[in-house]
Amino acid sequence: MKVHQFLTSYSYGDAIGNEALEIRDFLRDRGHDSEIFALFYHPRYADQIINYLEYDKFSSPDNVIIFHFSIGSPVTKKFLRAPDKKVIIYHNITPHEFFLDYHRVLAKDCYKGRVELKNLVGKVDLALGDSVYNESELREVGFTETGVVPLVMNFEKFQQEIVPALEELFDDGKTNILFVGRIIPNKMVEDVVKIFHLYQELFNPNSRLFIVGEYRGFERYYSALLNLVGELRVKNVHFTGHIPDEELISYFKLSHLYLHMSEHEGFCAPIPESFYLNIPVVAYNAGAVKETMNNGGILVNQKDFIRVSALIDHILTDSPLKEQIIRSQEKALKKYLKNKTGKILLDHLQRL
Amino acid sequence: MPNTPEEKPYAPDEFISANREIDVVQIMDTIKKRIREKKESGVFKQSEIDEIVDMELLPLPDFLEVPNVYEPHLYPGEAEARPGKKEFHPMEVAFEVEEGSGLRGLVKKILIKIRKILFPLVRFMVRPIYNELKQFSVDRFNENAHNIFKNTEEIAYYRHLVLQSKEYIKLLHNALNNLITEASKLKIDHELLKTKIKVLEDKMEFLENRERAIEKKIFR
Repeated sequence: MKVHQFLTSYSYGDAIGNEALEIRDFLRDRGHDSEIFALFYHPRYADQIINYLEYDKFSSPDNVIIFHFSIGSPVTKKFLRAPDKKVIIYHNITPHEFFLDYHRVLAKDCYKGRVELKNLVGKVDLALGDSVYNESELREVGFTETGVVPLVMNFEKFQQEIVPALEELFDDGKTNILFVGRIIPNKMVEDVVKIFHLYQELFNPNSRLFIVGEYRGFERYYSALLNLVGELRVKNVHFTGHIPDEELISYFKLSHLYLHMSEHEGFCAPIPESFYLNIPVVAYNAGAVKETMNNGGILVNQKDFIRVSALIDHILTDSPLKEQIIRSQEKALKKYLKNKTGKILLDHLQRL
Repeated sequence: MPNTPEEKPYAPDEFISANREIDVVQIMDTIKKRIREKKESGVFKQSEIDEIVDMELLPLPDFLEVPNVYEPHLYPGEAEARPGKKEFHPMEVAFEVEEGSGLRGLVKKILIKIRKILFPLVRFMVRPIYNELKQFSVDRFNENAHNIFKNTEEIAYYRHLVLQSKEYIKLLHNALNNLITEASKLKIDHELLKTKIKVLEDKMEFLENRERAIEKKIFR
C-alpha cells in the first residue's frame, strides 16, 4: 500500500510536521511507500518533502492520501481532486477570533479552514481526529466515518544530553518553570507571565520562566507581552524564540515544572513530552487538554492566578506530591507510545 | 475575571482535577493555608492581586487600521457614485413650452392672422416712435450688455477663485490626513523597532552569557 501525506506547511519544530515525519518513517518501516507533500516547508527539509503540486506524478486510485488538516489553504483543492483514497487527520483549527487583533491574514485562513472542513464532508473516506475532542468536532460538522489517532510522537529524541552552555547558564539552583508553544494569542502567554509573577513575588524569588516558542508573525503580540513583563517588573523571564530541537530538549530537562494556560488546544504536544521527562505539569482545562493529560499531572479548571501560583509552590516544595504527580504522568504516557499510536493508524488505514 | 479567594470560595475539586491517587482536598487546604499566611503577613493586598489579574495586553495597532478620517467629510457620497450615473447640471434642465389647444388655440391663430394683415398699417403709424424706441433699446441693450459682460467676467473670476480655494482646502486636508496617517504608522514602526532592539539586546546579553558559559566549560 502506498500512503502519502499532505500538509499545508512544515516548519521546523512544528508538532504536525513532526508527526507527519513519524508516520512516514513508521509506514516505511512496515514496508509501505510513503512521501510527504507540502505547500510551504522549511529549506532544511527540502530533501524530504515534495511540493504538493507534483503529486500528480504519484497519484493513483490505489493510493491513500492522509491530509493533515489544520488551516484553510489551496492544498485542500488539490487533495479533493486526487483520485486516491482520502483520509484527513484533523488537528483542529484555532478559532479565528483569537487572531483578529493580531494577524488578520491568519484569522482569515482559520475562518476559511472551517469552511473548507465543511466542504470535505462526504468527500473523504475517513476523517480522523488526534483527540476525541477533535473527533467530536468532525462529527458535529457532519463526518460519519470518523476515528481517533493520538498524535504519533517520537520520545527517543529526548534521550540526548543537555546543551552544555545552557546547563552552565540555567542549572544554577533557580527554580525553572517552562512554557512551550508558539507565542500566539490563544496560548494566553500573558496568563503564564502573571502566574509566574505572583509565584516569584509571593513564594519563590529565586525562580525563572522559560517561554520557548516562535513569535515571528506575531510581533505585535510579542511586543505586548514584553510590555507586560516590563510593567509587572517580572525578573528572569527568558523568551527563547525559535530554537533547534537539542536546545528545546535542554530547556525541558532544565525545568522543574511545566505550566500551560492556553484557551484552545487541539492536542498540546508539550504535555506528553513533559510527562516523558518527568516534569510535573499544571495545565488549564481547555479544548483537548484534559484528554491529552489522560488523568496525569494537575488540571486547573479555573483561572485563579494566586491559587495557581500557590499550587506551583506546593508541588515544587512537597516531594511526595511531586512524586505522585510524576507517577500519574507515567501512567498517562502509555497512551502515546509510538508503536501503539502507529498501529492504531495502520488499523484505520486497513479499513479502507 | 477569575474568582478571587475572598469573593467566592469554592469546593476544592472545582478548582483542580487530578488522578484519584492524588489527594486534591489536601492540596487545596495547603494552597489556602499558604495564601492566608501570605495575606496575614502583609506581603500582598487583594487589590494588588486584582490589579495584576485585570491587566490587559495593549497591542500596538496595526497600521492598516489607521483610518482616513477626513475622506467621508471631504468627498461625501463619492464612494456611492456609480460610473454612468448622470449628475445634475443646471444648464441641462429642459424647459417645456405649453402650446395652445382646442378653441383657445384657434382664437389665438385667428388673432395672429388679423395682426399680420394689420401689421403694415400699424407699422406705418408707429414708425417714428418705433425708430426712437428702437434706438433707445439698442443703446440700453449695449449699455446693459456691457455691464453684464463686466459682471460675468467678475463672476467668472471669483468663481475660479472659490473653486481653486475649495480644491486647495481639500488638498490641504488630505495632506494633513496623510501626514497624521504616516505619523501614526511611523509611531507604530518606531514602537516595533524598539521591541526588536529590546529583543536583540536580550539575545545579545544571552549570547554573551552563553559564550562565557562555554568558555568556562572549555577551560575548566
